[in-house]
Amino acid sequence: MFLSRSEGLALALPAALFTFLVFLVPVGILLSVAFQTDTGAWSLQGYVDFFAQPLNQKVFFRTLKLGILVAGTAAVIGYLAAFCIVNLPATSRGRIFGLVVLPLMISPVARTYAWIVILGRTGIVNDVIVGLGLSSTPIRLLFTETAVFIGLLQLFLPLMIISLVSAMENIPRDVVPAARVLGASWFQVFFRIILPLTKEGLVIGGTLVFTGALTAYITPAILGGSKVLMLETLLYQKVNVSNDFVSASVIAMILIVMCFSANLALKRIASVKR
Amino acid sequence: MTRPLSILALGAALTASSVAAEGTLTISVYSFAQDAYKKALYDPFEEMCGCELVIETGNSIERMAKIEANAADPVIDMAVISSHDALSLANKGLLQPLDPAKLSSFDKLYPAAQDPLGGNMAVGYTFYASSIVYREDLVSIESWADLLGDGLAGNVSLPNITGTQGPLTLMMLDKAAGGDASDFTGTISAIGEHADDIVTFYSRSSELAQLMNQEEVIAAPVGRFAWSRFKSSPLPFAWADPAEGQAGGMNVMIMTANNGNEELAYKLMDYWLSTEVQTRVAEALIDSPANMEVVVSDEVAENLTYGAELINSLNILDPATIIANRDAWVDQWNTEVIR
Repeated sequence: MFLSRSEGLALALPAALFTFLVFLVPVGILLSVAFQTDTGAWSLQGYVDFFAQPLNQKVFFRTLKLGILVAGTAAVIGYLAAFCIVNLPATSRGRIFGLVVLPLMISPVARTYAWIVILGRTGIVNDVIVGLGLSSTPIRLLFTETAVFIGLLQLFLPLMIISLVSAMENIPRDVVPAARVLGASWFQVFFRIILPLTKEGLVIGGTLVFTGALTAYITPAILGGSKVLMLETLLYQKVNVSNDFVSASVIAMILIVMCFSANLALKRIASVKR
Repeated sequence: MTRPLSILALGAALTASSVAAEGTLTISVYSFAQDAYKKALYDPFEEMCGCELVIETGNSIERMAKIEANAADPVIDMAVISSHDALSLANKGLLQPLDPAKLSSFDKLYPAAQDPLGGNMAVGYTFYASSIVYREDLVSIESWADLLGDGLAGNVSLPNITGTQGPLTLMMLDKAAGGDASDFTGTISAIGEHADDIVTFYSRSSELAQLMNQEEVIAAPVGRFAWSRFKSSPLPFAWADPAEGQAGGMNVMIMTANNGNEELAYKLMDYWLSTEVQTRVAEALIDSPANMEVVVSDEVAENLTYGAELINSLNILDPATIIANRDAWVDQWNTEVIR
């Protein structure tokens, strides 16, 4: 723009150095442990040992499953909410969008503890279930995969909605009505117009929600406990309970690979032309 | 400043820092009740010895890792830790044996606290009983076996195997099933068979107190040190007296090897074990006393693991058994219980 290349580099240098020294170097050192044996020799044995444990396999697939489920459900709800928001009058749109963003300003700890009150044996959900006679006794909702799924979805849904609203605002306003006038069903409108035109937003939202769900610690720890371990809670256990930094580094590496893979996969899907 | 004066100032500064270093003791302690400990122990000790205490806190794993990582040049001079964690450090050669002659309160300690690990590698400073806290309006507890019974299915929590309470619960469930605490394989399998009946496996007593106050759980094993959390609740919690008795454990004081600060560390240990401090700590409901001369009111005693009769009746799991079997227990637990 107004800067020469050298001026731009000079301006970026402090931030780049800071990131390199206090983030990339420590993370690199930490993750290098994942490729070393106890004697310091380079090896992939940590990964072999990790996946040889049935519990670790189960935790890995549970984390992957919940990540996909949360991202998928957030996409479905997000598209409905985003479509509704972009078609509102400007003043209402601002208010509703503000409500969507509001939860992001509240600590995840507070938001997650609220779910304990809602999903507990004496919580609102069980009051309704027992009150309607659907069950004679309160049912177990906390410390289940369902509780973790609900908590993660509530935590990350705003990120999907924000991404999709931004993408949908770029669709010319006449396109959908034109398609409808020409006889397209809502199914066709979504899959042949809205989805292709908002795929960048879906990639960004999907990546944010999937990686967020994969790497969240507080929500699985509080709502799932030790019976619904996910990779993040397992990682914490490895560090703080077992003092097993090799396994913890292996888990961290697996999480990083999963996050990058998800982003690449979503980009690949989005790049496929209809 | 002239050159001689500069040298003098430098010398004075070095001497001052050397004096300050001699008067500083670094200790590693559990994180809980630090404000109460400051009032009951740290501040009076600093005033008495004219020295400075540096307090390092954290969970056992972090604290043990720090002692091990700095073995060549110890940062921690003295630590308080569970007896089995102390044994683990002693086995690695990270501790030095204590000299009972340097602890004037040594003979006042309960015999079980005087040399719990052998070789004077540690000295006990507090006992804790472990039993079952339960809702007396909803259920009655007669035996540790009730934890896995139909009456508590879906309403019970057990401690995680990785914490201090986990092995104690295994020992008492084993005893209830007629075992002799030599092999917990069958007990872990039994817990695995009832895993769906257990709400969750808690890691911290504060977590359990929250679950029980929210009525998610109506019975669970816990250490007596956490009883005040339940006693102050509006819900009717009771402390069980099961047929098999109560489990028990002990926390100990240890001295790191070659720390060079032994004299001050002994001073703190002796002060901590004195009747005066042990009484103050007990009355503040921080830790139960290991000093036999401590006398507290019935009201205070109610909240503690107090008195020779109770302490001598505790079922204490040998620290060496825990160290030798912990990895195997965790492996079996992860396979059969957490699944």
